[in-house]
Amino acid sequence: MLRSRIESIGVSLPRNGPWKPGSLAHATKAGSQCLGSSCYLPIDVEVLINAGVHRDRHYAEPAFASYIQKKLAINVEFQRRQTASFDLQNGGCGMLNALHVLTTMMQSGAIRTGMAIASEVNTDRTPDPDSSIIASGAAIMLDISPSSDRGFGTFVFRTYDEHIDLSRSMVDLSVEKGHLLIHRDKDLDQTCLSLLPEVWEELLDSEQVKREEIDLLIPSQISARFLAGLPDALGLPPEKIVDVFQQYGDTLTTSPVLALHHAQRQGRVEPGTRIAFLAVGSGITFGAAIYDF
Amino acid sequence: MTGNTRIESLGVYIPQTVVTTAELLDSCKHRPRLDLERITGIRERRVAEGEHAVDLGIKAAERALDMSRYNAADLGMVICTSISKYNRDQAVDFEPATSVSIRRAIGASNAINFDIVNACAGMFNGILVMESFLRSGAITCGMVVSGEHNWPLTNSATREIRHTFDHQLASLTLGDAGAALILDRTDDDRYGFHYLEMVTGAKHNQYCYSIPSQRGPGGILVTNAVGLQRKGAEHFPQYLKKAVERSGWSLDEVDFGIAHQASVRVVKRGVKEVSKFIGEKVPHDYLYNCDVYGNTTTTSHSVVLDEFMRNGTINRDHKILFVSGASGIVITHATYTMDDLPERYRAHHGGEE
Repeated sequence: MLRSRIESIGVSLPRNGPWKPGSLAHATKAGSQCLGSSCYLPIDVEVLINAGVHRDRHYAEPAFASYIQKKLAINVEFQRRQTASFDLQNGGCGMLNALHVLTTMMQSGAIRTGMAIASEVNTDRTPDPDSSIIASGAAIMLDISPSSDRGFGTFVFRTYDEHIDLSRSMVDLSVEKGHLLIHRDKDLDQTCLSLLPEVWEELLDSEQVKREEIDLLIPSQISARFLAGLPDALGLPPEKIVDVFQQYGDTLTTSPVLALHHAQRQGRVEPGTRIAFLAVGSGITFGAAIYDF
Repeated sequence: MTGNTRIESLGVYIPQTVVTTAELLDSCKHRPRLDLERITGIRERRVAEGEHAVDLGIKAAERALDMSRYNAADLGMVICTSISKYNRDQAVDFEPATSVSIRRAIGASNAINFDIVNACAGMFNGILVMESFLRSGAITCGMVVSGEHNWPLTNSATREIRHTFDHQLASLTLGDAGAALILDRTDDDRYGFHYLEMVTGAKHNQYCYSIPSQRGPGGILVTNAVGLQRKGAEHFPQYLKKAVERSGWSLDEVDFGIAHQASVRVVKRGVKEVSKFIGEKVPHDYLYNCDVYGNTTTTSHSVVLDEFMRNGTINRDHKILFVSGASGIVITHATYTMDDLPERYRAHHGGEE
């Protein structure tokens, strides 16, 4: 089976200073960094997927990906080299969904390179106190892996829609300019931890991999309690789980990439390292995939 | 893998309530002094009352499953492509994805789900993505679904339009509808999608956008219709010609064109632009019904298919050229040859022959 490879990544980390970049600024910074460290040029990006959920001014149309495409100067005019850009939304699973879509498009022969990008922000002037979002950006350039034993393996997604009400976000339009409201049920962490083993076993079975063979787990950083419960839920030692919640908090769609970036900077990722991505999104939806560096 | 991706089943749900363009203009706080019906060709549209965008999508999905040979549990993927996520009163949903609600309502318990949002090109964008999953063998069938409840945008426009050239005028052309397609593969290369292409010219994304109103409650759609149409008309004929040629067709072989139903005038202008580009009269008809349903955004091609398959215009072996233009600017073309879908559609939903 043809596999896709993470060719480069870029991040725009959360900032604490007085200047608060919006989602477009975060996405642009992450995308520029990703392109800057890539062997590909902007014109080589055949598909650009924005997986971010919350955006500047709560834009509904056009696809926010088109703003990112324009800022990154990726085939912005109708010309011979062209790019299709669109938004893919699935809460905190969106980034992994986007990587799955790009990988499948490569496997079907439709494209050879693509970029998945995400950014989050709440630009309300007076944000709801319960609806804070830690603004950040992340981007991944994906191409076809030159080696059959390197890159992404099978992707596994499971939705437990009976828990649809545990995690919601919406823009209240009863007030001018809209107002972002986020609801996370207090039982969300525990419910996720109780459902995760099923998805985890399915991933290990589909790849015929033993849990001891996983070198690092890159999970969504939904809460400290969730991260603390992962070793028991998945049967992994705590040192194999990348936890950046203290540094960055829950950055929703960007969190797996920020965690991967953190692990790389710590020197925990090198050729031969086998990592597992584990994304959690509203729905409740889980996404998981194994990646061999 | 040989064969093509095909539309195995179609479900369209159109609400019953009719609002005429004259009624809409009369309800404007500041009535624009123009003949909107003459300019756009849109006489009336359907409006969902007591229903939200997700409800329209669910009803369409149920109709698609009704005539499909697949059960909900067979679906390997559900992609929702709605732009208008007015899934409750006075609010737009961001999480969870609308596809979760639809998946849950229809019982598609084995489906991977996510939303794709790409303005009016959403449905073809969903088909483009699902086509890769079908072609690679990752899934055997899936559903692309959309529910468009555009009335809140129209409602805002009736309150906020201040003059004849207001940029919210296009909101008065919108209509509500739901549509769902079940896609699978056919081994017969003669049928199904032969070519599908989407390109984004992001340099021109300023011509149409939707955000919460800056002046009061509700969401708004701001459109520079002249700019959007000019840029679209400048570029889409070359992609249309490419789509036909790459399918191994000539324009003479196309039986019908189905364009995005922005307005009757836009559809007719598009035909003129293609004629100008190819240097001769376009030899096939472009079907439209936005005169009575308005611009139902992502669902508009399906709403046309529904009517013209029912009335016997579209039949087996007909070659269809789909053209879609959307804010972004996104240009999409697809070529499709009908199998027995029109016959099955008439048998199931009742034809008008």
